[in-house]
Amino acid sequence: MNFATGDTLYIAPLLILALAGVLLVLAEAFFTGRDRTTLAGLAVAGGVAAAVASIALYRHVGPDEHRYLFGEMLVADRTGYALSALLSVVIALSALVAPAHMKAHDWAIGEYFGILLLAGTGMLMLAHASHLATVFIGVETMSIGVYAMTAMRRRSRRGNEAALKYFLMGAFATGILLYGMAMVYGATGSTSLVAVRERLVSGNLALLTLGTFLMVAAFAFKVAAVPFHMWAPDAYEGAPTPVTSFMAAAVKVAAVAAMIRVFGQFMGGDKLPFGSVGWASPMVVLAAITITVGNIAAIRQDNVKRMLAYSSISHGGVLLVGLCAMGLGSPSGQSALVYYLIAYALTTMGAFAVVSFVGNKANERLGINDWAGLASKHPGAALAMTVCLLSLGGMPPTGGFFAKFYVFKSAMDAQDQQLLWVTIIGVVNSAISIFYYLRLVTAMYFKEPTGEFAPTRAPGLTFTMAACAVAVVVMGIFPSFWAAL
Amino acid sequence: MSSAGGFVLPVILALPLLGALFVMLVPRGEATVARGVGLVVSTATFLVSLLALTYFDGKQGGYQLATDAVWIKSLGVHWKLGIDGISLWLVLLTTFLTPITLLAATSSIDKHVREFVAAFLVLETGMLGAFVSLDLFVFYVFWEVMLIPMYLLIGIWGGQRRLYASIKFVIYTMVGSLLMLVAIFYVYVQHGQVTGIYTTELLHLTADGQRLGLGQLALPHHAQVWCFAAFALAFAIKVPLFPFHTWLPDAHVEAPTPGSVILAGVLLKLGIYGFIRLAMPMFPHGAAVLAPYIGVLAVVGIVYGAVVAFAQDDVKKLVAYSSVSHLGFCALGLFSLTVSGIEGSLYAMLSHGLTTGGLFLGIGVLYERRHTRRLSEYGGIWKQMPLFSALYLIIVMGSAGLPGLSGFIGEFLSLFGTFNAADTFPKAWPGYLPSPRLLAAIATTGVILGAIYLLFMFQKVFFGPLDKQKNGDLPDLTLREKVVFLPLVVLIFALGFFPRPFLAKMEPSVKAFLADYHDKLAEPDGPAHIYGTAPDVTAQLDRAADELDQAAARLDAVAAKLERAVAPDNLKAGGQP
Repeated sequence: MNFATGDTLYIAPLLILALAGVLLVLAEAFFTGRDRTTLAGLAVAGGVAAAVASIALYRHVGPDEHRYLFGEMLVADRTGYALSALLSVVIALSALVAPAHMKAHDWAIGEYFGILLLAGTGMLMLAHASHLATVFIGVETMSIGVYAMTAMRRRSRRGNEAALKYFLMGAFATGILLYGMAMVYGATGSTSLVAVRERLVSGNLALLTLGTFLMVAAFAFKVAAVPFHMWAPDAYEGAPTPVTSFMAAAVKVAAVAAMIRVFGQFMGGDKLPFGSVGWASPMVVLAAITITVGNIAAIRQDNVKRMLAYSSISHGGVLLVGLCAMGLGSPSGQSALVYYLIAYALTTMGAFAVVSFVGNKANERLGINDWAGLASKHPGAALAMTVCLLSLGGMPPTGGFFAKFYVFKSAMDAQDQQLLWVTIIGVVNSAISIFYYLRLVTAMYFKEPTGEFAPTRAPGLTFTMAACAVAVVVMGIFPSFWAAL
Repeated sequence: MSSAGGFVLPVILALPLLGALFVMLVPRGEATVARGVGLVVSTATFLVSLLALTYFDGKQGGYQLATDAVWIKSLGVHWKLGIDGISLWLVLLTTFLTPITLLAATSSIDKHVREFVAAFLVLETGMLGAFVSLDLFVFYVFWEVMLIPMYLLIGIWGGQRRLYASIKFVIYTMVGSLLMLVAIFYVYVQHGQVTGIYTTELLHLTADGQRLGLGQLALPHHAQVWCFAAFALAFAIKVPLFPFHTWLPDAHVEAPTPGSVILAGVLLKLGIYGFIRLAMPMFPHGAAVLAPYIGVLAVVGIVYGAVVAFAQDDVKKLVAYSSVSHLGFCALGLFSLTVSGIEGSLYAMLSHGLTTGGLFLGIGVLYERRHTRRLSEYGGIWKQMPLFSALYLIIVMGSAGLPGLSGFIGEFLSLFGTFNAADTFPKAWPGYLPSPRLLAAIATTGVILGAIYLLFMFQKVFFGPLDKQKNGDLPDLTLREKVVFLPLVVLIFALGFFPRPFLAKMEPSVKAFLADYHDKLAEPDGPAHIYGTAPDVTAQLDRAADELDQAAARLDAVAAKLERAVAPDNLKAGGQP
C-alpha cells in the first residue's frame, strides 16, 4: 500500500468522525455523573461537520470521476460522498435524539456518543470501500460498535439478550464473510476489488460463485434479509429506541452501500460474466422471501418497535431487488438505490423519533393500542408519524413512493424474467404493508385516547420528527434532485 | 392540442390544496370559520372551472387547456394536464358536487370540522388531478393521493364499523392499483426500448405505430392483454364491477353522508374514466379481447345490484347496491365501443353523480332528523316534509331513468349502443358469451328493476300512514338544505330535457377516441418483448465455448511442438527442437 498524503483530503469526513469519536470517548472520562447534553452537542457537531465535508467533496469530484485512494483501498466518487453525507446526517440525528431518551429512560451512558461516531467511521469506510480488506474492516468497526450500543441498557434483560443474540449471529456472519472473501481471493489472486473486477472473466468460476454466494449470505445477515433476519426483531426491540433507529437506518444504509460497491460496481453489470447465473440469482430469491416474510410477520406485531423492525426487514428486501437490478445491468439501478436509501433512512429516523417522543419512563407506550388517540392530543407528532408510515408504505406524494417506484422501475429496466416476478411480488406486498402501517394510523386517528399522554419533550426530538417528515414530503414532490445523486 | 386557457387546470388543482393548508391554520374551535373557508374555496374552484367551458372548443376532439412542464427529467415524467370532451364534464361534476356536499356537511359533521374540511379539499384536488392528468406517473400519484383523505373520511367521521370499512376500502383499492403500477413499469420500459423515448406521457404511450413511423405497435399482442387486465383490475375495483364490488356497500354504509356523496358521485367514475382514458387507448388489442367479458360482468352487476338493492332494509345499503347496478350501465355502454354507447356511458356517469349524490344527501337529511336508516322505521314522511318529499321524488325518478330526467338519456344511449355493438366486434366477440343484443336485453330488465326498488324505497319512506311516533314532528328543509337540493334538481331536469349541449361537447372526443382505437387495432403486432430470454446464460455458454476453443488451440500448439520434437530430423540434431 502506498500512502499518498494528498489522498487524506478525500477521506476528510471519515477522519472527522474518527477524531470526534476518540475525543468523545476521552471526554466521557470528565463527564461522569454530569449532564450528557454537552457530549451530545459535540457528537452532533461531528456528524454535521462530516456531512458538510462530504457534500463539499461531492461537489469537488466530477460526476464520473473514480479516484482510488491509498492504492485502491478506498474510492472517492459521488456515490460514496452522497452516502457518506446521508450516513453523517443519520449519525447527527441519532446523537440529537439520544439525550432526551437517556434522561427519560435512565440509561445515561456517555460512551454512546463516542461509539456512535466510531461505528459511523466504519460505515463511511464501507461507503468508499474498493478493497476487500476495507470492506472487512468497515463491517467490523461498524458491527462491534452497534453490538455495544444494543447492550447500552445494562440492567435490561431484553437488551442483554438482544445484544448477545446479535453478537453471536454477527460473529458467524463475519466468519462467512471472510470465507467468501478468501474464495474470491483464491479465484482472482487479489483482494483489491479493482483487480478482482478485471480478473473475474479469467478467474475460476466455481470458486468465484461459491465465494460470492457466501458473501451474499454474510451481507444478507447485515441487512437482515430472511432467513438471516432472526436477530433483527429482538435486537430492535431490546435496544434503546435511538439505537434501534440507528440500527434500522444507518446499519442498513452502510451494508447496502458496501453491497453496491462489492456486488453492484465490482462484480455486476452486464459486461461481466456474472449476472443471472451469478450472485444475483440467490439474491433475487432472498429478496422475494424477505419482502414477503417481513411484511407478513409485521402484520402480526402489536409492538410498534417490532412492527417497524419487520417493516425494515421487508425494506431490506426491496433494496436487494435494487441490487439485483444493478447487478443485472439496469442503468438506473444505482441511482434508484441511493434515492431509496435516503428516503428510507430519513423516514425511519422520523418514525423512531416519534416512538421516542410518545414514550416516557413509566410507560414506554410500545403497544399499538397505547397510541390510540394520539392525534387528538399531539396532532403534530401524529401527523409526522403518519407521513413517515405512508412513506414506508409507499404512498404518494412521499419519498417512499418514488423510492419504490424508482427501484422497481429500474428492476424492470434490466429486462430479466426473475426481476419481473420479484417486482410483482414486491408491489403486491406494498398493499399488504399498507395494512399494518394503517393499523397504527387507525389507532392514532380513529380511536379515543385511553389515558393521558406524557410524552418526552425535547427540542432535539421535535426537530428530528419535523425535519424528517418535511424532508420525506419534499423528496416525494421534488424527486429530480435526489434521483440524480 | 390547444393550450388556450391553460391556467384553468393548474388553478383548480391548486385552489383546494391551498385551501386545505389555509384551513389548518384556523384555530381549532372555530368550526364555522373552517366551514366558511371550505365553502368559499370550493365555490371559487367551481367558478374557475366554469371558465373551462368558455375556453373549451366543442368542435375539437383533442386535448385542450393543456399545460406541460417537466417534473422528473431523468424518467421523462411531465406535469402534463389537459381535458377533452370526455373529462370536461367529469371535472365540472367534481367541482360542482364539492361545495354542495360541504354545505350539506354543516349539520352532519360536528367534530374535527377543520380537519374534515381539509381532508375534503385534498380529496377534491386528488380527484380533479386524476381527471386532468395526461401523464401516467402524475395520474398514478393523484389516484393514490385520493385514497388517504377518503380513508380518513370513513375512519374518523364514519359509523359503527368504520375501522373495518376504511381498511377494506384502502386494501381493495391498493391491491388493484399496485398491479396497475407493474403494468405501468412494463409499458414504460417496453415503450422506451422499442422507440428509444423513455416517457410516462400518455400521448406518447398511446400514439404507437404509424404515427411514430414505426409501422408497428410498441407492445406485442399478448402483452397488451396482460397489461389491460392489470389496469382493468384496478379500474374494475373502483367502478366497481360485479365480483369486485364487496367493498362498496361497507364503505358507503359506514362513510358519513358527505363521504358517501363524493364516493358515489365522483370516485366511482374514476374507474370508468380510467378505462376510457388510459387502458383502452394504450392497449387496444387487450381491450378488444377482454371487452366482451367485461360487458358480461357489467350485465351481471346490473341485475345483481338491482336484485340485492331490493332486499335491503338499510336505505344507504340500498343506494349503494343501486350504484353497483347503475355503474354497470356505464361499463356496458363503454365496452360496446360504439359512439352512442360511450356517450351514454359518460352521460349516465354525470346523471348518476347528480342523482346518487342527491339520494345520499336526502338520506343524510332524514338521518340527521331520525338517526336511523332503516326503511321500516319510516313511513308517511310526505305529510311532514312535503317540500323535501317532492324534491326527493324528482331525484329518485331521475335515478330510476324516467324519461325527461337525467337518468333516462344515459341508460337509453348505453343500451342502444350495446344493442348495436355486434358490428364493432366482427371477429372478437366469443361465441360462447351471450351476444351483445341479448346482453342489452338482459340489461334492460335492470332499468325495470331499478324503478321497482327505488319506488319501493320511496313508497316505504314517504307514503303510507304516519304511524311511527318519532316521525311526527320532523321539520321540513331549512334554507341551507334548500340551497343544497335545488341546484341538483335543476340540473337533473336540465340534463333530462336538454341533453344536446352536453352531448355535443363530448361527441368529437368520443369519435376521435373510437377512430384512434380502430386505427390501432388495424396496426400490425408489436415486436416480441425481451422477457423470458436469458442472455446471460448464452453469454456464459459462449464464454465456455471460447475457453474450450482456446484450450484446444493451446493443445494444438503443444501437439505441434511435440510433433516437431519427435520429427526424425530434429532427433538427429540431438533431440533439441
